[in-house]
Amino acid sequence: MALIEFEDVSYKMPNDVMALKHVNLKVSRGELVAIVGGNGAGKTTLLKHMNGLLKPASGTVRVDGRLITEFSVAQLSKLVGLVFQNSDHQLFAESVKEEIAFGLRNFGYQPSEVESRVQYAMRRFGLESLSERAPLTLSGGEKKRLCIALVTAWDPVVLALDEPTVGQDHLNKMRLLALVKKFIEERRTVIIVSHDLEFLWPLQPRTVVMAGGRVVADGPAASIFNNFALLESSGLRQPQLARLALALQSSTPFDNVDEAVSWLKQRYGSYHV
Amino acid sequence: MAKVIYEGLKFRYKTTLIHRLDPRVKMVLSIALFALALLGSNFYQEAITFVVTTVPAVIAKSLRRLMRVVALSVTFGVFVVVINLVAGGTIVESIVLAVRFLEIVASTSLFFVTTSPDELEYVLRWLRMPRDFVFAFATSIRFVPVLLMDLTQIIDAQRSRGLELDKGGPIKRIRNLIPVLIPLIVNSLVRSGELAEAMESRGYGAVKKPTSMNTLRMTLRDWVALAIVLLGTTVLIWLYLYVL
Amino acid sequence: MIALGRTIVEFDDFTFAYAGSPTPAVQHITFSVEEGEIAVLAGLSGSGKSTILKAINGLIPHIYPGEYSGAVRVDGLTVRDTPTYQLAKKVGFLFQNPENQIFMFTVERDIAFGLENMGYDPKVIREKTDWAMDLLNIRDLAKRSPSELSDGQKQRVAIAGSLVMDPKILVLDEPTSLLDPKTALDVVNLAKTLNRELGLTVILVEHRLELVSTIASKMIVVKDGSILLQGDPYEVLFSDGLEDAGLSLPPIVELQKKLGTKVGKPALDVEEFVKEVPKVWHS
Repeated sequence: MALIEFEDVSYKMPNDVMALKHVNLKVSRGELVAIVGGNGAGKTTLLKHMNGLLKPASGTVRVDGRLITEFSVAQLSKLVGLVFQNSDHQLFAESVKEEIAFGLRNFGYQPSEVESRVQYAMRRFGLESLSERAPLTLSGGEKKRLCIALVTAWDPVVLALDEPTVGQDHLNKMRLLALVKKFIEERRTVIIVSHDLEFLWPLQPRTVVMAGGRVVADGPAASIFNNFALLESSGLRQPQLARLALALQSSTPFDNVDEAVSWLKQRYGSYHV
Repeated sequence: MAKVIYEGLKFRYKTTLIHRLDPRVKMVLSIALFALALLGSNFYQEAITFVVTTVPAVIAKSLRRLMRVVALSVTFGVFVVVINLVAGGTIVESIVLAVRFLEIVASTSLFFVTTSPDELEYVLRWLRMPRDFVFAFATSIRFVPVLLMDLTQIIDAQRSRGLELDKGGPIKRIRNLIPVLIPLIVNSLVRSGELAEAMESRGYGAVKKPTSMNTLRMTLRDWVALAIVLLGTTVLIWLYLYVL
Repeated sequence: MIALGRTIVEFDDFTFAYAGSPTPAVQHITFSVEEGEIAVLAGLSGSGKSTILKAINGLIPHIYPGEYSGAVRVDGLTVRDTPTYQLAKKVGFLFQNPENQIFMFTVERDIAFGLENMGYDPKVIREKTDWAMDLLNIRDLAKRSPSELSDGQKQRVAIAGSLVMDPKILVLDEPTSLLDPKTALDVVNLAKTLNRELGLTVILVEHRLELVSTIASKMIVVKDGSILLQGDPYEVLFSDGLEDAGLSLPPIVELQKKLGTKVGKPALDVEEFVKEVPKVWHS
């Protein structure tokens, strides 16, 4: 049984624009799914259905077999942890500790459990040294880490990240990548909404492409990332390594630079002037 | 309450005769109706003023909206009646006061519903209000939709952390607003800082009297409308003072 | 881009600490940009890039006072001694968030904002505003409200609002970081077009070097408030110190570095590289 299931879901915005059109999507436990597309493709709208913030105009959305229309946002959020794009829309507490504790308290954890989960989250995400700092004074990268930490603290079954790399510099993106890889190792179900294909490339995720409110493609990373026409028409930029593999007519994709190096050396022998 | 303010003040883009009038004429119209409401001393006069207000409302295709605003204000109107009765007034007097109040609401609403914030800004400038004040006022209005969007996103984000805004007693509900208000306020402050940088970078304050690309210009239609309004108001005032 | 050889922006041992801060945000910054160049400033968050940009149009020190030493000169004017509104005529500044630099209720009024502030004649304002809107292809948006526009359109409105002032230099502070790939590319191409057709000197801060490496004539890498590397993009991208600054190398550059390509001009994008491959590689 799929953990998250969208069945013929359509959603209309207040201004009458159809943000989702007949979307069908299934996410299984332990999967890593990337949902990609340009701005306005409907990715965030899709995400907001997963924890009940939005309810479909037609079609059904099920989380862990249950219809989202039968549960409150709070109940669903316990299962599907959403990390929003803008950290500044969430942080308000006096200290990092309190910030992490907020969600836990809302979900009804007892004080002792709250304490241990807060400690765990801080340790795991390298926030211990910042525990008494006011979240609003942290750097962009630290805020993002905090937002991911506070969601992880209540151990949701699904972790959904909305555009985690927007506004982040390279170092922070690498840290994010490491965090995601760890989640995958732990066999968590992870959904990443992003238009940053360079960031997603090393993860080689199952990729769902959205454009104009529809799912236009759904498949393994290699087949999607190599489809230049598909990416272009969906407002996305093909990662350089994928473009390179195509241009060189390599039958295998290059997961990273080293693979490209060995391919070239193999194909062309040594380097001559 | 909030709904009244929102509905009553929100400009809706239309191309009716009234909407296309010079905003100064629209202002005169509303002030005239407002004045008539204050001058009326009995029920018939207030009623006539009220009926007269519906004429421009109909032309502006905004009658329904105006009626809705008035309907939403009726509760307050009843409040006015009650207070006046308690203070020793008669029923008739109280009702007159209530109708006067509703008329004031309607005439003010008429102005704001037919006048875009852009036009409003031109009027304030024309009235020679201090530049800084007009700019601050206009910019605040310009960012209202942006702030509303921020608010929605903040509420979404906090609800996703289990915050339930519709549960609990009054004290709990107010406390629950803190995780929503703090990010909103902080974001607004940051935004103000960025706006200040942008203003400075575009030469704000370079000259004491900035010029304006567009200016308000009265057309024939505007003059005619103004004449009708002034004439009509004079007639009604004369009627109220000497006839009714 | 045609570098006309005249220095138009010059940083001379510039060091600055914001008021109330014990440590300088940037120190001993020395570099120059020639008229007609496209210079890219790169570095991690907090490395001082924004500080450097703000020192160009006078936000530093006029809005942000602090300990200021060294000199910054823009088109012959010394920034420290020149009021911001005069610098606004030379330097157009584009901020990261397009929303927070649009003030007025309609597009055309916002574009006219700078000219109104300067007290220009209304007819002139009208002409220049129309010109800017035509240039950026947004004439049809003239009466629209900014909150209805897409991010890309807002960015264009902001650029138009800067161009009306006839600046010689356009400074863009991370213009693409909040945009999706398609819109990001549009903005970068727009900068290139403005440079080519209007001769505007462009200085932009950008993380994703693969977006801008092919249009830049100069790259300046900042780390912890100091300049780590500067020069021709080829020099900078292929030098050894880049990883130190924590920047991401475009994969194609990383590839060539690992291959040890040292002969001839290295390629900055995939297409260039693929053309070179059969020339220099054979089994």
